[in-house]
Amino acid sequence: MKSFPVAGGRSVSLGLFSDVSNSRELLELMQSGKLEPEVAFLNASLVPDVFPVLAAAHKAVVSQGRESLTTRTLHSELVYNYSGSKHITESLKRCGISDDTSYILAARFDASNEEIKAVEKLICGTEIDLAELETRANQPQILKHYKITPQELSISTLPDAIVCRIAARDAL
Amino acid sequence: MDSTQEQQQDFGVLLKQGAEGRVFVSTFVGRKCVIKERFSKKYRHPLLDSKLTLKRLNAEARCMTKARKLGVPTPVLYAVDPLLHTLTFEYVDGLSVKDILLGFGSNGINEEQLIDIATQIGNAVGKLHDGGLVHGDLTTSNMIIKNNTNQLVLIDFGLSFISTIPEDKAVDLYVLERALISMHSSCGDVKSFKAMVRYYEQASSSQATWQKANNDWMKVKLELAGQYSCSTR
Repeated sequence: MKSFPVAGGRSVSLGLFSDVSNSRELLELMQSGKLEPEVAFLNASLVPDVFPVLAAAHKAVVSQGRESLTTRTLHSELVYNYSGSKHITESLKRCGISDDTSYILAARFDASNEEIKAVEKLICGTEIDLAELETRANQPQILKHYKITPQELSISTLPDAIVCRIAARDAL
Repeated sequence: MDSTQEQQQDFGVLLKQGAEGRVFVSTFVGRKCVIKERFSKKYRHPLLDSKLTLKRLNAEARCMTKARKLGVPTPVLYAVDPLLHTLTFEYVDGLSVKDILLGFGSNGINEEQLIDIATQIGNAVGKLHDGGLVHGDLTTSNMIIKNNTNQLVLIDFGLSFISTIPEDKAVDLYVLERALISMHSSCGDVKSFKAMVRYYEQASSSQATWQKANNDWMKVKLELAGQYSCSTR
């Protein structure tokens, strides 16, 4: 997993895993709140770059600092923010993982070395480089989910279009 | 005074200060960014002030993203902070069209570049108006030509709004016309203005007929602007 600074001395560690076989288990652990350490799981096929995830993480950290999280935890807030929608259940369903997700982006805020190891142990799959995000992303699915038109894509990259939606969600 | 200085350090290096806000250069999760802060007006009632500021902040964010959806290049919006009244954008590296045109005034006109800029302005404004978005402050200092791609980027949607009334769009064009005449009549050139008008038309050609007629009227206005600045040379 790789760490990225977010804001105010806080960081987020991201790890990309393919061929994950225990997503059902992970989902159950997460939903019962027994995940140790707590991690955010994103459906990686909707992630074409790390930057939109960092923007969502930034937003989550800022709202946590103000005690204005919309969802229950910081990690679920990351998934909710990344979706760019205001519908929490739908966000977690689409951008989070489901029973049969095999391609997962895991995120952990302020992770220590031990925690990173624990997360890597938790997920039964192969960790691959974050640079693979771009080629492995499911572009048609992303375009549909974020309602990105060809017009917009002609002047913008896919990650930038997503960042705009994440940032502007609450202003709409 | 102390508190404002502290705040400035928080946001980054001060770039510009206006009547409605301040603009800073900073970084956002590893990328260079611009932070636009709308400060509170002490002469207003605090409650009214925060409501107005927040409303305008959100409107600007909405209009910028709307413009992108219409295919008009604007800086990428990174974050909106409703508590500090700030917007965080991508840092666009390049000269403003104003500086470029003023450079033409002193160094001689680069015809090719002038027509390219005019074309891009016409195209961008045409797309905006076609989608029902009025920029509200179309001046040459609110347009940046990106350094590596020569792409025109529209900035400052602080006065933008959504409208279907032709007059609103006409006012937009009128502001642009005045800005061009007052600042840049020294490089007024019929050809480049015609290019602007032509691309404005092209970008909005999918319109209903009544609006097209309206565009024609604007076309006349713009063409007049071109001829006027030419005759003052």
